[in-house]
Amino acid sequence: MLDGSGRITEIGGGMKPIAFRAGYLPGLKAEEVAWLTLDFQAQKVDAGGRSEPVLMVEVPLLTTAQMIALAHRVREAGLAQLKAQPVSDIVRVIDAAIARLLDVNNEYRKLLEELLPRVTGFDAEMVRLGLNGFLQSFRALQLHRFVAEDFANPKILDEFQPQAKQGWSKALGADLTVHVWAGNVPALPLWSMVCALLVKAGAIGKVSSAEPVFASVFARLLVEIEPRWRDCLAVVWWKGGQADLESCLFPLADVVLAYGGSAALNAIQSRVPSSTRFLAYGHKISFSVVSKFALTTRKGQACARLAALDVARWDQQGCYSPHVIYVQRGAALSPFGFAQMLAGELAALEPKMARRALSLEEAKSLASWRESHEFEILKAASASPLRVVLGDKSQAWCVVYSDESMALSPGPLNRSVLVLAVDSLSEVCDLIQPQSAFLQTVGVAVSPEELLPLAELLGRVGATRICALGAMTSPEAGWHHDGRFSLLDLVRMVDVEHSAEVLAENFTSYES
Amino acid sequence: MAPAISDPEGLIPALLEFLAQPDVSDESFNVLALRLFAYQFKHNLAYQRFCLLRGQTPRLVKRWQEIPAVPINAFKDLTLSCIPHPDCMRVFMTSGTTRGDVKGRNFHPSLEVYDASMRRHFQPSFMQGAERIQMGILFPTEVMMPNSSLAHYLALAVEHFGSFKSTYFMDEAGLRVDALCAVLDEAQREGEPLALLGASYAFVHLFDALDERGVTYELPVGSRILDTGGFKGQSREVPMEAFYAQLSATFGIERKNCINMYGMTELSTQFYDQGNETIPSVKRGPHWIRSRLVDPLTGREVPFGERGVLAHTDLANFNSVTTILTEDVGVATQDGFVLLGRAQGVETKGCSMAVDELLRSAAA
Repeated sequence: MLDGSGRITEIGGGMKPIAFRAGYLPGLKAEEVAWLTLDFQAQKVDAGGRSEPVLMVEVPLLTTAQMIALAHRVREAGLAQLKAQPVSDIVRVIDAAIARLLDVNNEYRKLLEELLPRVTGFDAEMVRLGLNGFLQSFRALQLHRFVAEDFANPKILDEFQPQAKQGWSKALGADLTVHVWAGNVPALPLWSMVCALLVKAGAIGKVSSAEPVFASVFARLLVEIEPRWRDCLAVVWWKGGQADLESCLFPLADVVLAYGGSAALNAIQSRVPSSTRFLAYGHKISFSVVSKFALTTRKGQACARLAALDVARWDQQGCYSPHVIYVQRGAALSPFGFAQMLAGELAALEPKMARRALSLEEAKSLASWRESHEFEILKAASASPLRVVLGDKSQAWCVVYSDESMALSPGPLNRSVLVLAVDSLSEVCDLIQPQSAFLQTVGVAVSPEELLPLAELLGRVGATRICALGAMTSPEAGWHHDGRFSLLDLVRMVDVEHSAEVLAENFTSYES
Repeated sequence: MAPAISDPEGLIPALLEFLAQPDVSDESFNVLALRLFAYQFKHNLAYQRFCLLRGQTPRLVKRWQEIPAVPINAFKDLTLSCIPHPDCMRVFMTSGTTRGDVKGRNFHPSLEVYDASMRRHFQPSFMQGAERIQMGILFPTEVMMPNSSLAHYLALAVEHFGSFKSTYFMDEAGLRVDALCAVLDEAQREGEPLALLGASYAFVHLFDALDERGVTYELPVGSRILDTGGFKGQSREVPMEAFYAQLSATFGIERKNCINMYGMTELSTQFYDQGNETIPSVKRGPHWIRSRLVDPLTGREVPFGERGVLAHTDLANFNSVTTILTEDVGVATQDGFVLLGRAQGVETKGCSMAVDELLRSAAA
């Protein structure tokens, strides 16, 4: 069922379930490790199919001693190997790996295309397209830009660089970074994995049970391309919240990066000592703003299509996916007209990019959300503002329109979106205020004159990323995730002050 | 005789006759369900608007399974009553555990059908052939809680099936443990079977009180227990297995005689299991209620054996709506269903915020 390399093999049976061994564990043989099998069932199909295992993923269960040994191994290798390589070299390796993953005939790419839809339940076509768009942000050109975003002079990662204030500085990456990844959108671990590599930091990443595949595959691919990185990274798994393991591992790291809900993040933080830097990426909420200038009869439809893509991609599971779309009144196309077009575009996307089958709990959340809006409609007097639920319950999307603007609040996701009419763009800032601590992306379709003034207002309330409508799910290379620096947070600066240089002048072997 | 204002179409006699039959065919269930649907569509205007929103009318609905199921939350937001609600004799309200102080309301123009439904199904499900039994009630009286359907249900139990020695053991001050212990002692001494009926959480409080006193009982053969309501919103949640183990150990009653009743304010009929020797037990309803397990979003029935959300069509619920969509997750069995708990909100996997998480962070 599993061959030596942990590649997939088929198991007998009707549905052809396949097996995959997750993780990348340098220095450990498979037989030295205990393995746990996670069954990935096909979620109940809307039409009423049966749940059957479609994939079995084995994840490693390391002992505390094995984990500690692994941490030391990765740290040492990072120091000896990564720290000795120039950034351009590192970029070259990552670029080569990305190029292979963009090649549809590559074995690793085929593996991802086979496994990711089974693991996440996402439509295969959505995974294929999403993966391509995502990987393109990690080619050499983008990676160099990524570095330049945080370091005006990228050579500062390689050697001491002269400073304008006098003296010399070097950015020294962490020796060991530990990453605790989430599994909401496939391939997300790539961000932090690449960031660690770019600053020459050894990395141990814990995959989530919901998506243990991508990081495992990527680590193996990197090592195949650059065998000297054999021990510089590791991909592990443990059951989230396992206190003994976390309490042993986290103190060995210079930086711990974690993604997830506030409860999980608080638990992790409690086990990270103050000597270790803790970078938390918590739950976020995103939304869109459409200005009246984008709502001419000619341009409105295209905007609706862009908004529909933001809603449909990854079935809104990303932190950057919109929950609400605020639409300005006063254009030829009314906000309600926009909502109707959006519904039409979502319906048109469904055959191309099917929504993944929902769990009972997800279906319940979605149903309750719809119903709560329906009850408001039934309760309302005839003179109250228009509110409409578009799309019937059998459709794989739902648009609710309201004439009455409402505060930003999270929806049940899975292609459900609230379209709210507003009179002015600045009105939006009051409506998002209650969520200021959780804001992230704002997808906008506005005029050039409106862009920066609106960005100023949104930024003040708490938004950290403003992008085009239709681009919400593809943050550009070098973005400041949740307003933070991707690379600067992973390094410490080493300064050689001018005084040392001046004093050194006194101690030349030659007379001056 | 002109039909009463509370029954403009003479449904009550028809329903009472239907309930009185030993069993009914699918066809006669369907006929009455559709007649009730047409009646409710005509007179219950909030329901009519709900059906129209779903694109359903009596002309289109041909089978009882197609009657639009009303989510129980609608009982909070809408006034679902065929008879104008000020003319209703009684309104039962939910305890409001899920949404703070907003309570679901079920209006009853008369309790004739409700009472008949309770009595006809309670008798075979709990009485084991006895005509009457001494009852100890671990719940407040109907006078104390006039809007509680459970208080009314238990009052019916005492009135129609309880012996003259039946007593309530809960008042404004809480559980009257001393008085209850005296009755338990006496039952044990005299060998007279005793039935304890009440809310599940009341039994948990009783466990704690009896633990403190260090007493357990060995109640006489024929004694039995009825608990209902589970533990939602209570301070202490107890796993079912532990609950029935302790119930049995504390009172010396076999688990097959520990019956759980599943009922809802939004319905007029109850379900019972045949004891809780194995967990979860199968719940069954009488011939005038039918249940389906559905996908909460599409409303379509799930394949037999798969998890779904329970939808009930209760013909005794003639004034509000016959068909409701619950939030209870279950699995169908050959002759009933197994309850698996309440449909929880989605556990979020990643960094996108969901409603539940927000509620939790707002509460923190």
